[in-house]
Amino acid sequence: MRKTIVVLLVILLAAPVFLSSAGAQEEDVNRVAYIARAQADSFAAWLANSILIEAEKYPDITVDVMDGQADDATVNAFIENSIVNQYDLIILQANNAEAQRPYVEQVVDAGIPIILTNPRIEGIDGTHTVDADPYEQGAVNARLAVDQVPENANVVILNGPAGNMHSTARREAWQKEFLDERPDVQVVGEQIAHWNKEEAMAYMEDWVQSISRIDAVISMNDNMAAGALEVVRGDSAFEDLLVYGVDGTAEAALLIEEGLLTSTSFQSAYELARLNLDLADRILSGEVTDYVHTDIDCPLITKENVHILREAHEDAGNL
Amino acid sequence: MKINRDVVSARWDMIKTRFAIYMVLVGMIILASFLSPVFLSPRNLTNIARQVSVITIMSFGQTLVIISGMIDLSVGSVMAFAGIMSVSTYVATGSILSGVVVGILVGVACATINGLIVTKLKVPPFIATLGMLTAARGAALLYTEGQNIYQLGDYVMLGQGSIFGIPTPIYFLVGLAIVMWYLLNHTKFGRYTYAIGGNEDAARASGIRINRNKLTAYIIAGAFVGLAGVLFMSRVNAGLPNAGIGYELDTISIAVIGGTSITGGTGSATGTLAGAFIIGILNNIMNLLGVQSYLQQIIRGTIIVMAVAYDSFAKTRRKVG
Repeated sequence: MRKTIVVLLVILLAAPVFLSSAGAQEEDVNRVAYIARAQADSFAAWLANSILIEAEKYPDITVDVMDGQADDATVNAFIENSIVNQYDLIILQANNAEAQRPYVEQVVDAGIPIILTNPRIEGIDGTHTVDADPYEQGAVNARLAVDQVPENANVVILNGPAGNMHSTARREAWQKEFLDERPDVQVVGEQIAHWNKEEAMAYMEDWVQSISRIDAVISMNDNMAAGALEVVRGDSAFEDLLVYGVDGTAEAALLIEEGLLTSTSFQSAYELARLNLDLADRILSGEVTDYVHTDIDCPLITKENVHILREAHEDAGNL
Repeated sequence: MKINRDVVSARWDMIKTRFAIYMVLVGMIILASFLSPVFLSPRNLTNIARQVSVITIMSFGQTLVIISGMIDLSVGSVMAFAGIMSVSTYVATGSILSGVVVGILVGVACATINGLIVTKLKVPPFIATLGMLTAARGAALLYTEGQNIYQLGDYVMLGQGSIFGIPTPIYFLVGLAIVMWYLLNHTKFGRYTYAIGGNEDAARASGIRINRNKLTAYIIAGAFVGLAGVLFMSRVNAGLPNAGIGYELDTISIAVIGGTSITGGTGSATGTLAGAFIIGILNNIMNLLGVQSYLQQIIRGTIIVMAVAYDSFAKTRRKVG
């Protein structure tokens, strides 16, 4: 039995060597490390998958994806390992900007080009960035809501994790572009649902009990908006409920088509991937001589143009 | 007169020892009913039951495993993996029954692996199930490439439907509570489980087949977790590969609050049910009152410790007395 366990252990420990592509590396191929925030996060997974698909268009680039597991220590270890492994370029999706800052500076000091994506980390010289503007992602929905939300409305708000830059910026947009513009509107409930559908469902179930009237749900992402909608689906008392999200997920496309989700803003992982790989290719071929900072658009998606979202997800095989 | 007072006092001590956690639950219900006018509304009460149903079913499995002196850290990941496979089966076949069966079988398969690693390879349960926690999560993410599965159609009836006005998950909850209670209190397996958890050497000396009982405990727990995965995914109307993160800690907390000893040998289905509702009511009343998220976490942690401390204190006083 002991010998069997030893043999199994050796095989398992050796497996990564055979399963990885490093063994078959050609000299002319550029090695890119993509450090994902957390592949268990559906948006981060979508972006990682899109990066891999986009990388196939570049025969002189290979991408190794590393899962940061939403843990700063893990992400930082991957950054350090990527320096030691002498990758030609690193693309980093930070979990926490400040926690990753000193490690990004190490990459810059090591002379390895680095692209910061979704989110960018401000104020580090020597980095390139590709991101979406989270303030604008919230703002496009908020500006629509200014005209749509009825007078003296009661609204509830679902936030992402505390301290998350995207959630904070989107919430700031809703404050400035909607709540400050509409002082008649009352926020009757606000909670942190950690981007999670089931947490949002539980909050909405309780709010429906304790709040006499809810006119709108403001959510910092589509997942949580979808959770709130599950609670009131089919309930005629909430026929006119307005619900706003961000991301433009496949589920959001379905919900907008059904007339349940009012609007979202499309944070296209496909577009982020395209820009990241295009920039990586230009950096590695020496075309880029200055530091590049790019934002993707965050178009507002409503029932009128939801076909844009559907087509994007159908092309990617998500619908 | 003095004798009657002593008898009454002794009876009251016995009641407090045996029913401490239920008294905490009743106390919370009474307090919550004063704090919010809608707390006792039928809709709110069914909301609570529906919200706790998945985690309670998982906690029954965890309770069984802990009573027999083991632990299962993989319940959250296995729940997600089983739920994903269940949803995929339904999407592929259109059969809800097939989806449910596959979900349960996946839970059982993962639990069987846990049980074999513990009983045959003699790996501590903490380590064995820690490995499964990672592996099952990886399997769920690999299968779905990290993406959610949508368009579940009639599958959602299991988690969102109702029969005679009572949400379907509550029927599962009550049914499995009865199954769990019967298993622990009226079967040889239940008695052996308590014996093994209480004193494994003595149980072995009395002829109980330890490994077989432990493996069976994991398998039954796996079936509970698999079914919980089915209900979870149907409730959220999506196959979520990242579901259930942290649920292992919740199920252990619920079991311990309900009187299950973390060292084994003690616990009950009704206690676990009470523990789940204590947490569920706590979450519910704080949401009804609009308590801010950060404060909720502090209050939750404090009340959990106080509830268990009261229960432990009552039992300790009884032993000393």
